[in-house]
Amino acid sequence: MGEVVLRLKDATYRHYVHAPSTFKPWRRILGQGIFSANLELKKGSILGLVGPNGAGKTTLLRMMAGILPLQDGSARSSLGESVSTLTDTELRQKVGHMPEQVRWQGKKTVRNALMEIAEMRASSESRVDGLLKLVGLQSRVDSRLSELSQGMRQRLTLAAALLGSPKILLLDEPLNGLDPVAAAAFVLLLRKLTEKGVSIVISSHQVEGLVEIIDRLALMHRGQILAEGTMDEVAQQLNLNKKTEISGIGTAPDMNTFIEDEESVKIEQFSEHWQVLLEKSRIGLLQEMVNAGIEITSWIERPPNVIEMLCAATGQSVEDVGLEVTSTSVMPLRTFRGEEE
Amino acid sequence: MSDFSRIMAFTRRFRNERLFSTRMYIMLPILVLFLPGMAWGFSDPNIVLPGGHQPANAMEVLFYASLGVVFGATMCAVLLSYDSVSRERASGVLELRLSQPMPRSHQAIAMIFGSWQAILIPTWFLMLISILLVRYRMGDWPSSADAFVYFISTAFILLWYVLFTVLASSYTREQGTAISFGVGLWFLFTFLWALVTTMVAYASGVSIGQENDATWVMLEGGLDLLSPNGVYHHLLETRLPQIDRGIAVWQSWGMALIWTVLPTWLFIRRMERILP
Repeated sequence: MGEVVLRLKDATYRHYVHAPSTFKPWRRILGQGIFSANLELKKGSILGLVGPNGAGKTTLLRMMAGILPLQDGSARSSLGESVSTLTDTELRQKVGHMPEQVRWQGKKTVRNALMEIAEMRASSESRVDGLLKLVGLQSRVDSRLSELSQGMRQRLTLAAALLGSPKILLLDEPLNGLDPVAAAAFVLLLRKLTEKGVSIVISSHQVEGLVEIIDRLALMHRGQILAEGTMDEVAQQLNLNKKTEISGIGTAPDMNTFIEDEESVKIEQFSEHWQVLLEKSRIGLLQEMVNAGIEITSWIERPPNVIEMLCAATGQSVEDVGLEVTSTSVMPLRTFRGEEE
Repeated sequence: MSDFSRIMAFTRRFRNERLFSTRMYIMLPILVLFLPGMAWGFSDPNIVLPGGHQPANAMEVLFYASLGVVFGATMCAVLLSYDSVSRERASGVLELRLSQPMPRSHQAIAMIFGSWQAILIPTWFLMLISILLVRYRMGDWPSSADAFVYFISTAFILLWYVLFTVLASSYTREQGTAISFGVGLWFLFTFLWALVTTMVAYASGVSIGQENDATWVMLEGGLDLLSPNGVYHHLLETRLPQIDRGIAVWQSWGMALIWTVLPTWLFIRRMERILP
């Protein structure tokens, strides 16, 4: 898993946005986008892209797919000792891209729609049939696109992304619209693909469910990659420790006797049992509590989850943000002013 | 699969999607009325046109019947291709296509050919029927050169309207805007161009609408080179020696080339840069 199939170095892309002025109604300025993204994708690995709405996940995926040209920086791949810079066309040959929510429509049949994409990738008819079977659409090959449900459309888009046996698979919100069984089968499929050496990047809001299969995680906010690495590495970068969840029967113990820092302890008392959450544990605590006669039923050390990591990285908190998309928060990101085209 | 065969395969899919679409079934009766219908009417041996003129041969009838192409077929070209890019863009299919290794310029060429062939095939078929109708009613065949110019110039004008429309479709994110642009352009060149000609004539001090005034005829002929419909008629007039509007044959074909190359280049360039 050491071979780097794609390395983004200072990759930058900023969208042009309209900023009309009195004398220049056509004026456009450089707006939000991706700023100097550095990312490595290793062979057979799964990278999860996580960030709030508008973080730039889709833009980054489009850059990796060769749809948006890099305005600065480079995309490279290395095979053994040799490192080569990839053009947009080379990227498109390597990459299978599954955009978010393709709304297939019209009188075309499922098979014809996939054949159209297959012809653009020089894939064979047998490959098309095989993929339709793989994504569970073999019974709908002659159905019209307009007759497909959202989940079926997602499956068709996935089949399109898998055409041409790509080395890199980019998935933008792939679980949208999939029923739970299909979602589980999808995760299984991803595993099989990585075993075959396919590298996968997933951008998903439902990444919490995918944590078990993700090898690496990249946290994004305002067009920047804030932290990247394995779950443990990211937690370490963000100074997040494992939390300890202790449960017991009866009345909750007075934790001040065991822990000095009161703020790092959260106690919840239920009718017949209690639960304590410790931000920081210490060696020997379990022994001390048992010696004190406290009846403990479970002791779990829980690593920080993705939401906690994201909040730590962006400076946001679930309570503060709510559903607001353009939270300003305290994130000390670079501010940018519009620059004229 | 070679690049050429890939473009052709993509063209075929694009063409068939439009050729067998519901809107084609709606437009087909209109095309039948406009093309063979006009040929039938103008080839009536007893017809007397305004000014007491009577068509003398088959090519002259086809020239008059070309009004059906200008009014009907071009509108159908607009209606068939207005969503070539915008619909795919709105649905997300364009993003999927743009992420394929097939060069965008090849995709653009296939889109043009596909949309063009979708309107060209029924139009040419109906034009063939028109020629048979003229032969039946007048007893005269157009010469092979006449027929060649008739078919090729019709192919040109349909291509121009397809190009304008797909170009508009690539710039708009919603189909309503794309169709408005296409229909607007069709109105400009089909109905409003006479107004433009009149205004230029007025500004130049040329007496307006005097068919016997050489200055007016020359001015109108010159301005017609700036309109696709005008160029179409100039091309047809190359086979009608009795009509002289001061435009040389090479000028007509030269402008036809410019009207073809310029929007094609613009569309390919646009597709190279388009964002999903």
